[in-house]
Amino acid sequence: MLKATTSLGIIFFPAFDWAISPTHPEREERLLYTQDQFREEGLFDIKGISEHRPLFATDQDIMRAHFCFPSVEAVCTESHRISAGGAIQAARLILERETRRAFALVRPPGHHAMKVVHGNRGFCNINIEAVMIEWIRERYGRKRIAIVDTDCHHGDGTQDVYWHDPDVLFISLHQDGRTLYPGSGFPYENGGPRALGKTVNLPLPPRTSDEGYLYAIEQVVLPILADFKPELIINSAGQDNHYSDPITNMQFSAQGYARLNELLQPDIAVLEGGYSIKEALPYVNLGICLAMAGCDYSGIREPDYNSAALRESSGIMETIRQTCAHVLDGYFHPPMGDFEKEGEYFIRERKIYYDTDGILEKQREELKDCDQCRGVRLIKTSSSHLLPCLGVELPIDCCPDCERKGYEAFSRSGKEFLVAQLLDQKNKQFQYRPKE
Amino acid sequence: MRIGIDIGGTHTDGVLIDGNRLVAAAKVPTNHDNLLESISQALHSILAGQDPVRVQTLNLSTTLTTNAIVTGNTEPVGMLVAAGPGIVPSHYRIGDHYHIVYGSLDHLGTETTALDEQDLTEAIASYREQGIKCFAVASKFSPRNPVHENRMLDALADEADFVSCGHLLSGQLNFGRRIHTLYYNSAIWRTFRTFTSALTASLKGFQLQAEVNILKADGGTMPLTRAREMPVQSIFSGPAASVMGILATARADQDLLMLDIGGTTTDIAVFADGEPLLEREGISIQERPTLVRAIRVESIGIGGDSLIQIKAGQVATGPQRIGPCMAVGGPAPSLMDALNTASITSFGDVDRSRQGLATLAASHQMDPEQLARAAIEAALDTLVAKITTLLQELNSKPVYTIHEILTDRVIAPARLVIIGGPAMAFKELLATRLGMEVIVPPLYEVANAVGAALTRTTSHLTLSADTARGRLSVPMLNIFRPIARGFSLQDATGEATKLLIADLNQAGVTMQADEIQITQADAFNMVDGGYTSGKNIRVEAQVRPAVVGQLDDSSTTVRMAESP
Repeated sequence: MLKATTSLGIIFFPAFDWAISPTHPEREERLLYTQDQFREEGLFDIKGISEHRPLFATDQDIMRAHFCFPSVEAVCTESHRISAGGAIQAARLILERETRRAFALVRPPGHHAMKVVHGNRGFCNINIEAVMIEWIRERYGRKRIAIVDTDCHHGDGTQDVYWHDPDVLFISLHQDGRTLYPGSGFPYENGGPRALGKTVNLPLPPRTSDEGYLYAIEQVVLPILADFKPELIINSAGQDNHYSDPITNMQFSAQGYARLNELLQPDIAVLEGGYSIKEALPYVNLGICLAMAGCDYSGIREPDYNSAALRESSGIMETIRQTCAHVLDGYFHPPMGDFEKEGEYFIRERKIYYDTDGILEKQREELKDCDQCRGVRLIKTSSSHLLPCLGVELPIDCCPDCERKGYEAFSRSGKEFLVAQLLDQKNKQFQYRPKE
Repeated sequence: MRIGIDIGGTHTDGVLIDGNRLVAAAKVPTNHDNLLESISQALHSILAGQDPVRVQTLNLSTTLTTNAIVTGNTEPVGMLVAAGPGIVPSHYRIGDHYHIVYGSLDHLGTETTALDEQDLTEAIASYREQGIKCFAVASKFSPRNPVHENRMLDALADEADFVSCGHLLSGQLNFGRRIHTLYYNSAIWRTFRTFTSALTASLKGFQLQAEVNILKADGGTMPLTRAREMPVQSIFSGPAASVMGILATARADQDLLMLDIGGTTTDIAVFADGEPLLEREGISIQERPTLVRAIRVESIGIGGDSLIQIKAGQVATGPQRIGPCMAVGGPAPSLMDALNTASITSFGDVDRSRQGLATLAASHQMDPEQLARAAIEAALDTLVAKITTLLQELNSKPVYTIHEILTDRVIAPARLVIIGGPAMAFKELLATRLGMEVIVPPLYEVANAVGAALTRTTSHLTLSADTARGRLSVPMLNIFRPIARGFSLQDATGEATKLLIADLNQAGVTMQADEIQITQADAFNMVDGGYTSGKNIRVEAQVRPAVVGQLDDSSTTVRMAESP
């Protein structure tokens, strides 16, 4: 009988009664065949592998990670709260030492959800990893955390949430943004002025297969992790690098995914995308679970797997080697971006499109250039559907001056803004401005 | 009239019930070398002065298969396992004649690699050489497509006295459990067959013309003809009989806890809304998980004979038992002796109990009464801890829909029913400790046999339909046939109900449609290339465990025949 060498808790929540729309890739059927495969292979009969139900993320849990406008209820439904609750359960299992590792196999995903949320973009409303990380830091204190986003799409949402946070290292490996949604994730995107180098983007050419992907893990991701020395490693585990995925162009396999997790040894994995629900997910998920539990996964293989046909060309391997060298160097010697400044504030002005909901957001971010702390951050946002709103963020190490400035902005926001939300990491205050 | 017989580890209990009235009850020692003798003794006693022809039903719960497995009194099984990629099938190796035949089906039931005929021929040649006559065939994903199992079945046709076949066992997906269950089924098939043949002959001797049913671990019965094909289902039926006894003797219409306190162990079961909770997938046999459906019963090493020890100043009770309690001549002080010493009971030779505790207490400079109290507290602590974990586990079981997360209610029993020998002794103790209403049903000593007598036939089936491929599967009934594109979830539940009733009918059991419970009914929209291609429908139907009637409380003048 099989036995896990590393205990693994799996939060399997297929949300069999939820879909974005009946034929949307994010529909009820998505994890059905994964469940069939798990059951037939007897995954939960393996000693040391256990199944758990998700928790439920409250308003406070979400407000620690996001500015939701006009309100939390308006942008996120029960499905999102349960999905985030699944990630929270994964964190709880390992931090309470009930299991050594945990995998939140939940849907809907979250890695395209940014700091400010107006609606759904890239199938995501709230960033379930971010909600989980803030839950961890609320209960277990400040921690160094690394997120390795192995979804085929650039994890632009997670990147945005932690852009200014030097405690969180964000590494995204993805299909080159010039060829795939969301079109970002280039090596020069390397973090805000207070967290330079703590965002790492590694775009891979289309048709990258096992050798190229694992090369990037071994040559870039592992050395960076060894340097950063995180207390927790989180795999933001999309499964759409698979050769059969219908909306991407990569050639990764179930064996590759299993090996990736064996190398990475994540404490927590959280499911993101992956829409080849019959040909890939049953095998990829099983491979990831076995690898995380330290079980033999050598027999896991897609029925039509053909390593020779999937193998990347020498030209692709060469591109990957060059990108890897460049990205690794960029982590150790991060070039200073051309940050715009107005007075003592760093300014970012952006337009963000929510593809699923068809919303166009206009955003202005002001980050105080403070030598005492990371600086108070004000985000002024409006959209095609919403009047201007204000988000005020006080960092965990907030200095008294920034704290005062933040609270002033929050209390004075009544005239100019429809809604204001305070995210005070220092004093753990998360609230909307009460109605006047 | 109905007869219930429960063969237990120590006693064989029998009852004769007429309508709602208990007519006779008997308790005789179990002779493990000759179970028929124990059955005959019990029958003699309860049928004395009765007209055996009036007995319509005889339900038997037997330890035969359990003991055959535990003692290794099993037959060699040619275990043929067909699998391709995935978790390596050698992990499930069981018995000495385990052969893997290469071949694979995917989760949709599509054949992705044909069965390796050479592997198969070699395996069968080796079986022939070793004179193997009992077989089991299992393929991965056989409930989705039985083609590989059927091929192996065909190949064994000339060799076999008996073959257990995976998809006929259960529609549930779990390859490892399928293998284990089939193995045990074939390993005990001949023993069970021999026993039931002798039983049938013996019942004729009693002039009994009753239909005979065998108890299953899920608390229901199966007709003897079915049991002879699936004897593994008769395993661990004892605890289930007790649980059904609660339903037959106590008011059980809400969340409820049951404790069956025996000499060595206490069995704990939970009822939600008056229904006993089942194991999620099946029970384990010799630590191997199986697909045998069973009432979830947690056993814990606390019973009347649990040994009292003092370790590093700490009083511990159980889980060891080295003999009966001292009150009936046992070698060392046990929980029952502590209850005697604390004047809670006066069972057997109370002085002997007191002396035993006094000796142990003196060697640790303790007062005997104080030791007795501490030993009882220790036993209660263990029981309460187990109950708490069990409820926690039941209330955190995985669910797969948002609806369930939002509507799932917490199982919170407010009543406790205790049965078993020392039941009365624990009534007040547990009421105080748990703050629950505690009930000891009037027939607590034979509740198991009453449960056996009054329980009804249970059955279940799994139906799946894929309208894109136009295919309906009911593996347990060996139905794999085409359906129309428009086949709906409603059609599916209707079909499942109809098929289950028809199958029970074939075994001689009459059921109405309203007795069939649909426990799962899901239809998933299947999308291929951006378009809806059909529906993937999954239905589970069951006849849940239930009793045919409740015993009338007032009818308790029971002649308890204790055999010499």
